[in-house]
Amino acid sequence: MKILIVGAGQVGYFLCERLSHEGHEVVLIDRDETHLRRAQDRLNVLGLLGNGASAEILEQADIRQTDIFIAVTDLDEVNILACLLAREYEVRTRIARVRSIEYRSHGAVLSKEKLGIDLLINPADEVADEMVKIASRSGAFDVAEFVEGKIQFLGYHMTKDSPLCGLTLRELGELRGMYRFVVAAIGRRDKTIIPRGDDGIEAGDDLYLFAHEQDLPAIQYLLQGKTSRSRRGPRVFVLGGGQVGQRVALQLEEQGCDIRLIDRDPLRCQQLAARLKKTIVLQASGTDIHALLEEGLEQADVLITTTERDETNILCALLYKQHCQGRALALVNKPELLTLAPSLGIDACISPRLAAAGAILKYVRRGGVVSLATIEGSNAEAMEIVVREGNRHCEVPLKKLDFPANAIIGAIVRGDHYEIASGDSVLRAGDRVVVFALPEAQSRVDRFFA
Amino acid sequence: MRATDVLHILGGLLLFLAGALLLPLPVALWFDDGAAGAFLLSALISLVAGLALLKGFAGSRELGLREGFAVVSFGWLLYALFGALPYLLSGAIPAPVDAIFETMSGFTTTGSTILSRIEPLPRSVLFWRALTHWLGGMGIIVLSLAILPLLGVGGMQLFQAEVPGPTADRLKPRIQDTAKLLWGVYVLLTAAEVVLLMAGGMNTFDAVCHAFATLATGGFSTRDASVAAYDSAYIDAVITLFMFLAGVNFSLHYYALRGRIDSYFRNEEFRFYLLLTGGATLLIMLFNQGAVYTSLADNLRYSLFQVASIMTTTGFGTADFEGWPVLSQYLLVFLMFIGGCAGSTGGGIKVARILLLLKQSFGQLHHLIHPRRVYLVKLGNQPVPAEVLQGILGFFALFMGVFVVASFLLAACGLDLVSAGAAVIATLGNIGPGLGSVGPVDNFGHVAPLGKMVLILCMLLGRLELFTVLVLLLPSFWRR
Repeated sequence: MKILIVGAGQVGYFLCERLSHEGHEVVLIDRDETHLRRAQDRLNVLGLLGNGASAEILEQADIRQTDIFIAVTDLDEVNILACLLAREYEVRTRIARVRSIEYRSHGAVLSKEKLGIDLLINPADEVADEMVKIASRSGAFDVAEFVEGKIQFLGYHMTKDSPLCGLTLRELGELRGMYRFVVAAIGRRDKTIIPRGDDGIEAGDDLYLFAHEQDLPAIQYLLQGKTSRSRRGPRVFVLGGGQVGQRVALQLEEQGCDIRLIDRDPLRCQQLAARLKKTIVLQASGTDIHALLEEGLEQADVLITTTERDETNILCALLYKQHCQGRALALVNKPELLTLAPSLGIDACISPRLAAAGAILKYVRRGGVVSLATIEGSNAEAMEIVVREGNRHCEVPLKKLDFPANAIIGAIVRGDHYEIASGDSVLRAGDRVVVFALPEAQSRVDRFFA
Repeated sequence: MRATDVLHILGGLLLFLAGALLLPLPVALWFDDGAAGAFLLSALISLVAGLALLKGFAGSRELGLREGFAVVSFGWLLYALFGALPYLLSGAIPAPVDAIFETMSGFTTTGSTILSRIEPLPRSVLFWRALTHWLGGMGIIVLSLAILPLLGVGGMQLFQAEVPGPTADRLKPRIQDTAKLLWGVYVLLTAAEVVLLMAGGMNTFDAVCHAFATLATGGFSTRDASVAAYDSAYIDAVITLFMFLAGVNFSLHYYALRGRIDSYFRNEEFRFYLLLTGGATLLIMLFNQGAVYTSLADNLRYSLFQVASIMTTTGFGTADFEGWPVLSQYLLVFLMFIGGCAGSTGGGIKVARILLLLKQSFGQLHHLIHPRRVYLVKLGNQPVPAEVLQGILGFFALFMGVFVVASFLLAACGLDLVSAGAAVIATLGNIGPGLGSVGPVDNFGHVAPLGKMVLILCMLLGRLELFTVLVLLLPSFWRR
């Protein structure tokens, strides 16, 4: 497919990387020469210098032949205008990154339907939603939902105390009678592997698994060796009351969490206190540890740092970790810091760029692929695929099929039933299959289900 | 302050009063009670005085803030003076202070009386008593919903923050519209009560007078024994219901009539008002059961009536609550301080103010353990501005201050401790009956003239939300 991306910022760069890797023809437009050159030098894309909201430049980029148009500059207006132009050129799929609530809210005067934009993406919202998902799954650092939330894809960090440490997958398989899940992958140091029966689980591993939502409490019990201790909702500390922090607090409030939201700015605190209902808004600096300890930091279950600065987020998360047992989630923008943070002991670093790009990729590849999650720091993906009518692999047990290496089927959902995949499972037309695949296997997985 | 402007407008107001004074005339002629001449003469005097002020002083078009305060305060006072004329001229109430007390009690919808016997009075005079309530109630609606918010006083600022709609954020075009809408609601509710009371066997005259007194949360009855004279559970129930409704913000009734019934329950003040009424009734029933009433139905009937009557600051009586257990009386006194909702015809401190005072106090407590917490007091999910909260604290302090000073003065006039305090809260809260020697079956006739004047001032202060009147005492108010 031919894809045109306007804006070579972080989201644009990441999208170029993923889409070109998958063999799509990508053209990138940006006004900034250094940004453009960086992308062109490192990625297999065609760069074009100029204004993405100008018809002339778009024609130079051969917009008439383009299948997908993605506008992800920093300016809402440019993105919207570029998409309006793309509509005139009859591009099939148009996607824009829009921050302003003006266009995204329900009943907006200029809704996305009127603007002719198929998908409006706001990185701040995406990252906030991601953080809320992780915060509300105790123990997991990465969560994705498939089949309307029935099948969950969870990442757990294995510590020395974890009861699973030292077990091989075969041994774990014997437990599976009680606990129904599939270990899809193990992240060990910088590599992601799809484990075989003889592979063991070591301390320090990241364990990725598929499970049905009903089995989550049991699995969490198994992985942590203990149950959640208190009757009250989990206590969450949120640092930073910007767009992300506010959205996180609003959503966690609904789940009954006991939230402390910290911001330095008195005026912003006033606005937050007006907007939020139960959250305790604290006007304090993120590093004022005494004030936070007085507010019960030691009993915190989750710490979320969402300020504008990556360094503040990482440092404050580490600082809080010194004083409590809770999990720390940090908002991290810079890709260079994303891989660093986990090694420091932060449980999850969430990037607006990845969250937004994930949402865009999910949309672009709809058709066969329904849902998709990208694992932080690697290019492996979990995706939901619908088995099409007349697929040649139907009605054959999985063990007899030549399923691509470096990929694994996690669950098969048929109507209201679901099945955690085993060698005897069969596929039928209309089934929704959740698959985990390493980058090298992704195109073969696509072909398998084509 | 431009005195000429104020006098000019007061002249206009007197013309309205002259018109109102003619309304009892048909009643006087119909019953042939001999008071027709008194009303004609009173109307004539008001007309002449009004015209003299209107023509004698030129008014400018723009009305300033200070003039606004002066018009409201002196207007009410003037109405009490000229409205007392029929009582004097008909000979129904011979002493001028008593007549002014009765009229002020009427226009401020208080319902305290100096009369020991009511029934022997001419029918047209009784009608005038009820009419002063009803007109006062109309005045209060405009006052609390339209005029006081403009002057920066009163509980309605809170309501404005919560509900958009017929609120007066601009004086000129909307004030008349707002007033008309809410008067429509007021008239409709009054008519409904008249019909329901007549269905219960009350005669037309009594039904109209009682409906006037109920909707205005006044409390003047046409019978010596007040509502107890009818001894009908049906009439008690109807009056209880309408007292309760009159204590609710009239804007909510307006929304409900427009089909938005749920606006009652969305309103936090209303929910709290309902909770207080229900809670107080249950507690009082608990104390009264066995001690006063043996049947649960009787207990409910009388307890609920008294709670509604006191809470909404109406002051009708079906039972002598001085015979009730001390705890029941205590709760009733507590309710006297609270009063009705902001934007209703009820008096007192107002439910919204009490609610916000509680929230504010809770916030202060919270502040001790969360010193860094940014806590906003909210009403119905809307943060209440700090100025409004300060206004409420100031109001509460002044209310208590006036209460203390006035009850001291009453005690100096020879009233005992309970009677002095109860007389002041009954008038300052615009309720009517108090406790002790001014209890539900007694009257204020025995209070010394100085004491009566203090109580007249209390009624005015309570009705005009203190600030409006007290601001006139500032020396800088009179200086330009």
